[in-house]
Amino acid sequence: MREIKPRSPLALLLIGIAVLYAVVLFAAPLVAIIYGAFKDGIDPIIETLTDPAVLHAFEVSIGLALGAVLINTIFGLVTAWVLVRQKFRGRGLFDTLIDIPFVFSPVIAGYAMIVLFGRGGWLAPPLFPIVFALPGILLAKTFVSLPFITREVQPVLGALSLEPEYAAYTLGASRWATFRRVILPELWTALLYGIVLTFARAVGEFGAVAVVGGNIEGYTETATSFVFRAMNDRNSTGAYVVSLILCLVSLLILFLMNLLRRRMVVSRG
Amino acid sequence: MSIELIHVSKSFDTNPIVRDVSVSIATGELFVLLGASGSGKSTLLRLIAGLLELDGGTILLNDIDVTRLSPQQRGTGFVFQNYSLFRHMTVAQNIEFGLSIRKVKRPEREQKVSELLELIELQGYEDRFPGQLSGGQQQRVALARALAYEPNVLLLDEPFGALDVKIRVQLRQNLRAIQQRLGLTAILVTHDQEEAFDIADRIGIIDQGELLEVGAPDQLYRNPTHRFTATFLGTANLLDAHRNGTNIYLGGVKIPAPANTEQFSGKPVEVLARPEEVALSRTQEQSPGSIIGKGIVESVVFAGPALRVTLHLQGEGGKTLQALLTPSDVRDLDLAVGQEVWISLKEYHLLASSVK
Repeated sequence: MREIKPRSPLALLLIGIAVLYAVVLFAAPLVAIIYGAFKDGIDPIIETLTDPAVLHAFEVSIGLALGAVLINTIFGLVTAWVLVRQKFRGRGLFDTLIDIPFVFSPVIAGYAMIVLFGRGGWLAPPLFPIVFALPGILLAKTFVSLPFITREVQPVLGALSLEPEYAAYTLGASRWATFRRVILPELWTALLYGIVLTFARAVGEFGAVAVVGGNIEGYTETATSFVFRAMNDRNSTGAYVVSLILCLVSLLILFLMNLLRRRMVVSRG
Repeated sequence: MSIELIHVSKSFDTNPIVRDVSVSIATGELFVLLGASGSGKSTLLRLIAGLLELDGGTILLNDIDVTRLSPQQRGTGFVFQNYSLFRHMTVAQNIEFGLSIRKVKRPEREQKVSELLELIELQGYEDRFPGQLSGGQQQRVALARALAYEPNVLLLDEPFGALDVKIRVQLRQNLRAIQQRLGLTAILVTHDQEEAFDIADRIGIIDQGELLEVGAPDQLYRNPTHRFTATFLGTANLLDAHRNGTNIYLGGVKIPAPANTEQFSGKPVEVLARPEEVALSRTQEQSPGSIIGKGIVESVVFAGPALRVTLHLQGEGGKTLQALLTPSDVRDLDLAVGQEVWISLKEYHLLASSVK
C-alpha cells in the first residue's frame, strides 16, 4: 500500500485556482447559454430553428467552413511537403509566415481583403464580387484557419523515414502511388486532427467574416454574425439557441480531437 | 553479365563519394561490397537502384543500359538496413506490394505470397503487422517483398546490420541458400568482413569511394594487392623490404622471394604475413619457415581456439608483430612474456610499398 500524503495547502490553493478559472471562463457561460435557450420553453426554440435566416446562416457557416477545410487540406499538405522536403532560400522565413493568421487580428485581415479584393483593389475580381459576398467569406475562413493542417502534418512528415518511399520506388510504385499508398496512411491521423481544428476555427470565425461579408441578412450572414445581430436586436432566445448549437458543435469537435489525439499516441508509440 | 558498372562516379556538392568504379558481376553471383562506413558503398548501391542519379558513367543490368532509367523502370529488388516495411500494411500486403502496383490479379498474388512466406519460413504470419514482428522476421519479410515481382537483381544495404550476432549469422546463411536456390544475382553491402567471407562469391573492397580490388575471399585475404585490403581484412603484419634478384631483403636479413613477384624486382616492397603465418621457435634450426630475426614476447592473450602472441622484433625499425599460435605450440615452446624467440614466416606475400 502506498501511503497517501495529505495535500499541502499550496497544492489545494492551486487546484482551487485552476477549477475556479475554468468555471468562471468556461463552465458558467455554457450553463448560462443553456439556461437562456430554454428559459421561455420549447416554442421560441422551434421558432428560431425554423427561421429561414437562421437556417441560411448555418448553411453559410458550415458550407463555407467545409470549403475552407477543402482548400486548406490541399494547400496545407502541399505547404507541409514543401517545408519538409524542399530546400530553398527563404524557407525559414516562409515557415514563420505560415503562422501569420494566428497572430493577425481577424478584423485587420478582413479589412486587408476589402482593400485588396474590393472595388478598385489590386486584385479586384472582374467577373463576380468577392467582398460583401460569399467568396469573401470563404476567403476569410480559409485565411484564419490556414496554419492548422500544415502545422499538424509538418512534424509527422518530417519524422518519416525516406527509406520506405525508396523501397516503394524500387518496387515499381510511381511518386503518386507512393504518396497515396505509403506516405498518406502515415499522415492520416495528423491530417484529420488538422482538419478538425481547421473546421472549428472556420465555423467559429466572426471578425474577418463580418468585415469581408458585411453581415447581409439571408445572404452573407453566418451563424456567429446572426448571434451578434440577434443580441443587438434584443432577440435573446435567438442568440441563445444559435449559440447553444455552435457550442454543441464545438464540444463535438473537442471529443473528436481527443479521440484522434489518443490514436496519434497509439500510432506513434 | 547481370550487373555492369562502367566508370561510375557520384559527388555530393563537391565531395566525391563514388570515384570511377567499374566492375562486372556475373549472373547468379553474390557480390559483397565491403568497406568502412562512409566509404561510398551504400551510395553505389543506390546508384545501381536508380535512387540517386550518377554524375558520370554507365550502368548495365542484364546488358541493358539503365543509366537514365528511373528506379521504377530498373526493377531492382532493394533491401534496406532498417527493413523499411510499410508499417500500416500487413505482412501479406507488404509482400504483394510490387505485384499489386503491377496490377497482378488477386489469386496470382496470393499464390506468390504463400510461396514466399514458405521460402522465408513465416507461414501463418500473413495478417500480422510489421510492429508485431522481431527484427529478424521483419528483414525476412523485406526480402520477400523485394523478391515478389522477380527483380532483375537483388541489392542489399547492410541487411543484417541492425540484428543480433546470432540472428545475423543465421539470416545470412538463409539468404545465401535462397540466393543460390533461385539463382539470383545480388550485391550485398556490409562493413562486416566475417559476413563477407561467409557468403560472398567475390568481394569488392571499397575505400573512399574507390573500388580498390575485387576477388574471391581467400584470394583477397592471402594475396591482396593493396595495403588497405591487407589491413582491412583481418590482422596484417607488414614489414618494409626490398626485392632484389630472387631474394627479399629485410634490413640485413635475406629471405627467398615468393613465386610470381618479378614485377617488384629492384623495388621497395612490403612483406605481408598473417598472424597464423608467423612461427616461433627456440632455436634457429627448429624454425619451420624463413627466419626474419629474433624477438621478445610482449604478451600472450587467450583468443578462443588460439593464442594471440605479440612480439617485438629486434633490430632496426623494432617492429611489433602479431602471431597466432595453437595452445600446444605455446606449451611446447614454454612461452613466457619477456622471453627471446626466433621469428620465422611460414608464408608471406608482397605488396607494392606505400613508401614513395
